Amino acid sequence: MFSQRRWILFLGFLVFILLAGAAYLWAQEPHSVAEAAKEAVQEMEAQSSGICWWLWPIILFGFTFIIGIIAPLSGVGGGVLFVPLSTAFFPFSVDFIRGAGLIMALTSALSASPQFIRKGLANIRIMAPLVCVSMVTSILGGIVGLWITNAFPAGKHYITIALGLVLLLIFFVMLTSKKVEFPEVKEQDPLSKALALSGSWFEPTLGKVIEYKLTRLPLGLVCFAAVGFIAGMFGLGAGWANVPVLNLIMGAPIKVAVATSMTIIALNDAAAAWIYLAKGAVLPLIVVPSVIGISLGARIGAKLAVKAKPAFVKILVMGIMLLAAALNIVKGLKGLHII
Amino acid sequence: MADKNQEVYVDPANLIFARAMEIVTYIGIAVMIVFGLLYLFGLPSYVEMKHAICQWHHPVGTFWHNVVGIHISGYDWFLKNLACMDCLSMIGICILALAPFVAILAAWPKVGATHRVLTLLFFILVVEYLFAILKPIILPGVGGH
Repeated sequence: MFSQRRWILFLGFLVFILLAGAAYLWAQEPHSVAEAAKEAVQEMEAQSSGICWWLWPIILFGFTFIIGIIAPLSGVGGGVLFVPLSTAFFPFSVDFIRGAGLIMALTSALSASPQFIRKGLANIRIMAPLVCVSMVTSILGGIVGLWITNAFPAGKHYITIALGLVLLLIFFVMLTSKKVEFPEVKEQDPLSKALALSGSWFEPTLGKVIEYKLTRLPLGLVCFAAVGFIAGMFGLGAGWANVPVLNLIMGAPIKVAVATSMTIIALNDAAAAWIYLAKGAVLPLIVVPSVIGISLGARIGAKLAVKAKPAFVKILVMGIMLLAAALNIVKGLKGLHII
Repeated sequence: MADKNQEVYVDPANLIFARAMEIVTYIGIAVMIVFGLLYLFGLPSYVEMKHAICQWHHPVGTFWHNVVGIHISGYDWFLKNLACMDCLSMIGICILALAPFVAILAAWPKVGATHRVLTLLFFILVVEYLFAILKPIILPGVGGH
């Protein structure tokens, strides 16, 4: 873990590089920025949106900053809020939104996973068999998602409708699922036993070490195959689906399920990211402001999560998802001229 | 804190995996953000921002055709333009995407010493990762444009 001093050094390094870059820019081409901005403003003003080009990174930063605050409060990944809301409200192609959503989910998961592993909440013995299956299906999902939008002129509208339907499914899963804090696993299936799917962590609210074991690995593998495909196709982290499978089907305590889910997201999304990179679906113009926004917002959200009432936050997120689902379905149907 | 660490046993393979993932992640984030911000501040770029914004409502294939006039397939579009800030930012994203792969390779020796089945699973993961990375090069037409 980075200490406070290392963080200050890290941020100082970033500021230094930026200042050096800005100084270089002004020294080499004193008028280029102003001229480029002027031209861009004129060009963009001619566009129907009427929004200056340089406003987009700022809007994205603000938008993802708010998502970053909400995500840790609600326990969902940033991608599951970013992808549907951006599809509904922003002018980007769904390809770029999925690419950015995937990189955001990847960054969040990579940042959180090492801490979870050190505390015993996530374990590579549990993660490895599940990822072996879901990584293949997430790659296939990424291929299919990009193929649909490029092979069929109307493909993006079907993708948008499908995303809305997936969100409706997430909404109902969240509505009906119960968070089982410490499920009781009396007996492990032979496969889970052979792979020693068990562990322990220190639970501060109880002041003691909790030991756990998982079961029903074959059913879990089937579920993770389906989840991986959807995650890769829509550029989602799929924490919303990993957690119920680990918690409700395989018997992982809720904290272990959340932590293991983050590690699985990190591995799956890292594999799926190459598809998006190779197809040019990752634009730094969209990704960089989004990653900075969600990273900074998540730090504030994590602090607020301690004080906020979980029930209120859950209702808030479910309301957002329902709205986004409806907007995406309507947008897709309009694109197909059905309504 | 000391009590917690004494009571919970985390095996060395997990610790190495976490450490390797953490280091590579920080490097990737730093590279992506630093060069990405320099790109946003107007330093030399492969994709001009104002052109990108005018075209970003198109699917990726049409976008790249209209903005740069190329057909994107593989990684050479950013690997051959490393003097451009946006392409350097893409290198940061590649480093991020490599973080779990590096973590698996780093933890592999420790895993092998304790758990044979896990060694096999790690081998499968490495093969899957390599396929994910190389697929756009060796099978560029499959499932794509």
